[in-house]
Amino acid sequence: MKKKKIGTVWLGGCSGCHMSLLDIDERILEVVKLADIVKCPIVDQKEFPQVDVALVEGSVTSDEHLHELLHVRKQATCLVALGDCAVTANVTGMRNYLKKEEVLNYAYVEAASNDKEGKMPQHPALLKLHEKVVPLQEVVHVDYVIPGCPPSADTIFYVLAELLNDRVPNLEQERKLKYG
Amino acid sequence: MNRQDLKTIAESAKAEHNQFKHKVCVCCGAGCLSSGSEAVLKKLQDEVKARGLDKEIRVVPSGCMGPCNQGPLVKVMPEYAIYQKVNCENIAAVVQSQLVEKRPIEDLLLFADSRPKPYVNAQEDPFFKKQLKVVLKDCGSINPEIIEDYIVRDGYKALDKVLFQMSPEEVIAEIKHSRLRGRGGAGFPTGIKWETVYKYVADQKYVICNGDEGDPGAFMDRSVLEGNPHRVLEGMAIAGYAVGANKGYAYIRGEYPLAIKRFEAAIKSAKKLGLLGANILGSTFSFDIEIRIGAGAFVCGEETALIASIEGKRGTPRPRPPFPAESGLWGKPTLINNVETLASIAPIINKGGEWYSEIGTPKSAGTKVFALAGKINYSGLIEVPMGMSLREIVYDIGGGVPGGKEFKSAQTGGPSGGCIPKEHLDVKMDYENLVSLGSIMGSGGLIIMDDSSDMVDVARFFMEFCMDESCGKCVPCRVGTKMMYDLLTKICNRQGTRHDLDRLEELAVYVKEASLCGLGMSAPNPLLSTLRYYKNEYLAHIERNTTLEGVSHG
Amino acid sequence: MAKIPVTIDDKPLEVETGRTILEACKENGIEILTMCHLEGIGDVGACRLCLVEIEGINKLLPACTTKVAANQVIKTKTERLKKYQRITTELFFAERNHICAVCVADGNCELQDLGYKVGMDHVRFPYLFPQANVDTSHPMYVMDHNRCIMCTRCVRVCSEVEGAHNWGIKNRGIEVRVISDFDTPWGDSTTCTSCSKCVNVCPTGALWPKTVVQGQLVKQPKMVSELVAKRKMNL
Repeated sequence: MKKKKIGTVWLGGCSGCHMSLLDIDERILEVVKLADIVKCPIVDQKEFPQVDVALVEGSVTSDEHLHELLHVRKQATCLVALGDCAVTANVTGMRNYLKKEEVLNYAYVEAASNDKEGKMPQHPALLKLHEKVVPLQEVVHVDYVIPGCPPSADTIFYVLAELLNDRVPNLEQERKLKYG
Repeated sequence: MNRQDLKTIAESAKAEHNQFKHKVCVCCGAGCLSSGSEAVLKKLQDEVKARGLDKEIRVVPSGCMGPCNQGPLVKVMPEYAIYQKVNCENIAAVVQSQLVEKRPIEDLLLFADSRPKPYVNAQEDPFFKKQLKVVLKDCGSINPEIIEDYIVRDGYKALDKVLFQMSPEEVIAEIKHSRLRGRGGAGFPTGIKWETVYKYVADQKYVICNGDEGDPGAFMDRSVLEGNPHRVLEGMAIAGYAVGANKGYAYIRGEYPLAIKRFEAAIKSAKKLGLLGANILGSTFSFDIEIRIGAGAFVCGEETALIASIEGKRGTPRPRPPFPAESGLWGKPTLINNVETLASIAPIINKGGEWYSEIGTPKSAGTKVFALAGKINYSGLIEVPMGMSLREIVYDIGGGVPGGKEFKSAQTGGPSGGCIPKEHLDVKMDYENLVSLGSIMGSGGLIIMDDSSDMVDVARFFMEFCMDESCGKCVPCRVGTKMMYDLLTKICNRQGTRHDLDRLEELAVYVKEASLCGLGMSAPNPLLSTLRYYKNEYLAHIERNTTLEGVSHG
Repeated sequence: MAKIPVTIDDKPLEVETGRTILEACKENGIEILTMCHLEGIGDVGACRLCLVEIEGINKLLPACTTKVAANQVIKTKTERLKKYQRITTELFFAERNHICAVCVADGNCELQDLGYKVGMDHVRFPYLFPQANVDTSHPMYVMDHNRCIMCTRCVRVCSEVEGAHNWGIKNRGIEVRVISDFDTPWGDSTTCTSCSKCVNVCPTGALWPKTVVQGQLVKQPKMVSELVAKRKMNL
């Protein structure tokens, strides 16, 4: 069997899901027997390559996330939404009941800032926040979801193992559904 | 008052009316009033008096005559000449020419501006000729605030008949025989409903008249209550006698102050004459009616919500069973009928169920009042036999679509109904046929749309209405209508995807089947029927989606 | 008590007359999903989770308010019902702002449990993200409207069991909110007895005591059911 490729990406989230992925510990050796992890936040490759399985952590909060997600969708055979932010918008979505301007203003103007001037950052290279944070499935077709904040390492390993062995993961049946 | 007194009143009123050569009715329904008919009435009365004609001409403020968008309307009897858009300036000319010189003024006659030649006798105009007025028979011809005007036209004769010649069982049998069905929208056989309430044994039963007409564009019940309140009152009393109730409530929406005022006046004058209250007409039957005013919630037209509202509770529906017939107002067996249904009772008793059942179609007997509105030349209030084709209503009665535009769709049943497309113009309008086309008869709203209408936007309009009017009690209706509204808005704004359309369809079926009351169960109907006939318009909106999201979903 | 024959999920059963379908199912070990129902307080049939199919009736009826009738053939677990239970659950989650990760009820939440039971891995409908207030004015308890699912258990327990009528409902449609007194801060209530019944029957983290933090909340909805049962015993 040809070795598969896995890529992971970190959108609007806290990276906790990636931490949980690392928590599969030595079982990562089982994973790499079946697949190469060709892209993740600490692999210094700019473009998200073609993969069999893409794990996407975090919600879509900005133009950059949207662009990245659409690209990942094109590159991935199977796109997995990893964690509550990707599935429900979760904590990142808590700014949705406020106006974007209010949020930015609070963060950069009203709150204590290290530039001591309270200026709104304007650099063109910075990402542009969307008015609303949305979970992945509102933007692209998602093949599998792993809810949880973060999902447990066991659950992540279970899903990966199933997908890499060409089986269909079923969280409900395995009693692995967990929110929060 | 006893039976003989009723006859005496009828005879003396008749003798008095016969002294006049002419009766001139000025429509004082809500529509004509808003276009200034009150001033016209005053001016006409002054004019007649000034010319010393007040012994010959009887001027009567009346209820709705039908062609509402041509108002203020003035009808001259016995010639049956109707003048349209009458104002204080031209009313004197009408008196002079029509009443003194007996020469109609053609330019002012009904539909003079749109027909090649207006009809001097309006009854010959297709607008009226095609209609059959049972419920609206006296509407527009009598002064709704004068009880004698009603009595003289066989008013309270049916009540007299049931009280002295019929047993409750016979009344119910007559109604069953007539095959009358509930005119509130669902079309449940009225006789069977009455029989169910009759059969429950209880120390107290109630009759409720549902006058909480709330569909956008519907004004049938309003016109009946405004134009002939005694007919409804008589129907309620007969219903009370038949089912064994001695107390009735008329639930009328607060947005209808004129209907409330006239119904109040009707109750007062009926009580004064002993046609309401203890021992009606000297019989052993007592019946009293109170008015309850709705505070503007559409859902209170749903019977269990309406009952909760009368009880002073938050107007939200509750699951049925138990049905109100078993456990209704304050837990007692309750008969709840719509205004139009109750207004159909007296003629059925007077002329017999057989007569009524022969009107209309085998499954949908009788006549139906429609509020014809939208993109149509002659909008207004019409009454036609069940089974008349939509084409006849739109083109013969309504005079077709204005501005040289094409007929596109007819929306029936308001926010609970659906849209009937052009290819079904020949549908015979009855309960079953409309359901088979994915719409419903509803209470009688009939909105005509031309080819400039965007059907997705139409669906969104009605969904917005249902979303706003949902009481918020059950999840499918509370959240489902909001979701559907959001998705429809997204599609209307050219941001929708195929995925959104799929979700919309899934939600529509769910809300229809899982909601608690009729509001939720029927809220997806406009959406489902436009999806059925105009899916291409939805798809066109989606194809024109220019956002990134649209591309990604494929 | 007279017994009548009914068939539920192909099981022929004898049920006492006057029982609701829900009671009949419970007595016979047939699980029915519920949310607005709570033993001891009146049923309203609002959450639509307990809908069942009855042969010969073309509408789905709520098990909690529908009484069994002789020879009824009732189905509680058809594909259609399961699908609708899932949609209902999704709509619950999408309606307000349920962020399990930061909720006191995380792990002790009837809404979470419902999600697991219907196998909801994600919500397929757009989240509404409404603006909802948090009322912290009461000295002991918090009302967080973000987590309220409008089951109205609190409203009913307050009027039916405690008799205080502190809780009510305002607005309609998606705007409905539970209110204290005449929509005044809970802390200003002149009717609330601080009895905590509402807090205990609340299925989510909408009502909670100030003494707990994330994931620590334990509720005792059964307390109210038992209280009502004891009162009926008339000891």
